[in-house]
Amino acid sequence: MAPLKSWLQINAKSHFSLHNIPFGIISTPDTPEPHAAVAIGEYALDLQVFSQQNGFSALSIIQPHQKVFSEPTLNAFAALGRPIHRVVREYLQSVFLDNGPFPDVLEKNEQLRKAALLPLKDCKMHLPMFIHDYTDFYAGLNHAYNVGVLFRGPQNALQPNYKHLPVGYHGRASSVVVSSTPIRRPNGQILTNLAAEKKEPVFSECKKLDIELELGCFVCKPSQLGEPVRIEDAPEHLFGVVLLNDWSARDIQAWEYVPLGPFNAKNFGTTISAWVVLMDALEPFANAGMANDTELLPYLDEKDRKSNYAIDLSVSLTTSSGKTTNIGKTSAKNLLFSFPQMLAHHTIGGCPFNVGDLLGSGTISGESKNEKGCLLEQTDNGKTEITLEGGEKRKFLENGDTVTLTGVCGSEEGALVGFGDCVGRIDPAVQLSF
Amino acid sequence: MASGSWLSIPKGSHFSLANIPFGIISTPPSVAKHAAVAIGDHVLDLHEFASHQGFAELQDFPPDHLATFSQPTLNDFAALGQDAHARVRRYLQEIFAQESAFPGLLKDNNEVQRASLFRNDEVELHLPMKIGGYTDFFAGKNHAYNCGCIFRDPAKALQPNYLQLPVAYNSRASSVVPSGTHIHRPLGQFLSTPGAVESSFGPCRRLDIELELGALLCKGNKLGEPINVNEAESNIFGFVLLNDWSARDIQAWEAVPLGPFNAKTFATSISPWIVLKGALEPFHAVGILNETKLHPYLREVRKNNVYDIKLEVELKTSDGETAILSRTNGSNLVYSFAQMIAHHTIGGCPLEVGDLIGSGTISGLEPGTLGSFLEASEGGKRSFDVSSTSQRTFLEDGDCVTIRGWCGEDDSNTVGFGECSGTILPALKPSWLET
Repeated sequence: MAPLKSWLQINAKSHFSLHNIPFGIISTPDTPEPHAAVAIGEYALDLQVFSQQNGFSALSIIQPHQKVFSEPTLNAFAALGRPIHRVVREYLQSVFLDNGPFPDVLEKNEQLRKAALLPLKDCKMHLPMFIHDYTDFYAGLNHAYNVGVLFRGPQNALQPNYKHLPVGYHGRASSVVVSSTPIRRPNGQILTNLAAEKKEPVFSECKKLDIELELGCFVCKPSQLGEPVRIEDAPEHLFGVVLLNDWSARDIQAWEYVPLGPFNAKNFGTTISAWVVLMDALEPFANAGMANDTELLPYLDEKDRKSNYAIDLSVSLTTSSGKTTNIGKTSAKNLLFSFPQMLAHHTIGGCPFNVGDLLGSGTISGESKNEKGCLLEQTDNGKTEITLEGGEKRKFLENGDTVTLTGVCGSEEGALVGFGDCVGRIDPAVQLSF
Repeated sequence: MASGSWLSIPKGSHFSLANIPFGIISTPPSVAKHAAVAIGDHVLDLHEFASHQGFAELQDFPPDHLATFSQPTLNDFAALGQDAHARVRRYLQEIFAQESAFPGLLKDNNEVQRASLFRNDEVELHLPMKIGGYTDFFAGKNHAYNCGCIFRDPAKALQPNYLQLPVAYNSRASSVVPSGTHIHRPLGQFLSTPGAVESSFGPCRRLDIELELGALLCKGNKLGEPINVNEAESNIFGFVLLNDWSARDIQAWEAVPLGPFNAKTFATSISPWIVLKGALEPFHAVGILNETKLHPYLREVRKNNVYDIKLEVELKTSDGETAILSRTNGSNLVYSFAQMIAHHTIGGCPLEVGDLIGSGTISGLEPGTLGSFLEASEGGKRSFDVSSTSQRTFLEDGDCVTIRGWCGEDDSNTVGFGECSGTILPALKPSWLET
């Protein structure tokens, strides 16, 4: 379809075109309590102000629920369910549409425009949802294969279970932070000599600090203890998608993770982008994801439904000297399992879900050298180096490095649906004295 | 604690005046959840007691502190800190003391008694805290060793990291449920025979328990700021019993390389009454010796850093037969909760009020002291007797497992946890699910 045009000046390359309308939580000097907003072009539409000043007067279905926009998280809005999200998003698109049906709401309402349409640069972003539980999956098959080759060789790269079920582990919800939060290099126990007979770890700062390029998906509909979510119904449980950087301490991970999985290697910080792109905004970009040559059990079988999304993903690294290098580009098509499949698997034994729960996709990598979603893969576990703009080398992250994940769907200018940035800068480790 | 109570407290009650554990109740007159303490076979409703001036003689406890007793979880009360907890506990001991210094507030006050003192069968118990994060450790060395022997050569039973750091995994906070919650046998994927190439799907066939202790936190830390091991005890509100129900067949198929997942998330039960840290002070004990020289961040000055808690596991079958399957002790841990907290935060992970820390399965080394069916059945290889007519390898539908724990030899001053129980119901098979 032709790009939707707005009366508001929106840059043709903006990730926040009228086709998007992502939701987030902002605060401003004038309204310091966090509250809801949507992003449009270079602006945030402050939904608390908009709703309080009758911006939703033409949308009767939201009338009884408008308090949700003054809440400090999007959980209450998400809990209203997909049909309401759809209608609110479409209404806001109409409000911003050039020659649209509601010109008096905002376009011609200078007072409301001044009060509610705020430059994004003047807004502080907050975690968009209250996260009860966060689960990280491992559905990036190329990543799982590449890492498996590094540690076990090609024959045993993927575990026998890998294609049968979306393997996952519980992450630490308390360590999920919003984009731009600095990330401290963790200290921990590290086995420097893996081959030694007697395992004597040292205690030091992490020396193999890595990123993981992932997507995150938020849940908007709860499930009860003992009641699996049917795969057919799973999409209505999903609110929207963010970018997710699952910062990883590879050396801490190698020593701690047998037999219970990664722990301190992950829980020092996980960054998500601030604007939640609603499932409806992603729908035009749906595709089937990677083919699975294993026959899936019925509870995981999506049949012909397309629940993967063609999102172009990119990772760049900015050093403390200010030079930025693109260090990877790939596509979110490179996932073997979809978010509905992850939810169906996660609940099959009866695990209950809450609104706001977060699912991580797992590291997304393509097949070629420049499509790796983590440094572990890019440098073959530190055996080779990558070269940055200006000549600096990297095996793993250094203090002062800032990593930026970006993602965008589509290529048609004026119709891009993107996620904004998922950013984090590495700060030095705490100096500990005992 | 010499004095008895004016309230009749049965001998051997877990809820003697030496205890005063905190929980969350609802009652017919007050259906909204709120705080209470357990005393003998009774429950003192703290919301009602506060609104009837019961706390009039408690110094330095302003209205906003009292208001925490009207909250639906104990998180706000816990956040007041251990000094506040200790003062409230001492005050309530005085309220119930035979020679109470404040008899007019409850002992001699029929109206307040009618409003705030209930028999324990008159109240409903709920999850006592809002749990933002639940981490399960693996510090029961005998359990780790026994399980290792099932899968490996005993010389390699423990992984190389085991004695160097308290191994743990994040578990699922949403599946923590109060004692008494029925547990449906989970559905899942598993290999029906070892080495099968196709996975099977259906109700778990190796359903198990895990006898553990849980610590609930009253204080957290900021992202990036580790908690010092010698200060970590001040982060603990109190303790509960914990049953980390486990689906062993689902676990075996899913757990490599990222750890147990659906094997655990179908339910974890905790006992309803939180025994405050202060109540366990007399029962500090030395745990399992760790001969490894620990890294400084784990070196705890206190040597008696675990607790002498008598633990037992009882099974009741659907035929009504009961048997004590296991008796062991809470000191069978090679790491303390303080060490678990220090390790958990060493990289900067933030903990919060209400977080739950599981100790890991607690076992002795001998039959009859084991904290899981996996160990008692030697990996499912042999069944063990429950009675003269029943055996078990793993749990059957209709089984009710009850964990009990208590401290002290003097049956007028027992400090106990009550019960953590759950009954296994058949797998729920939704009509839409082909199995």
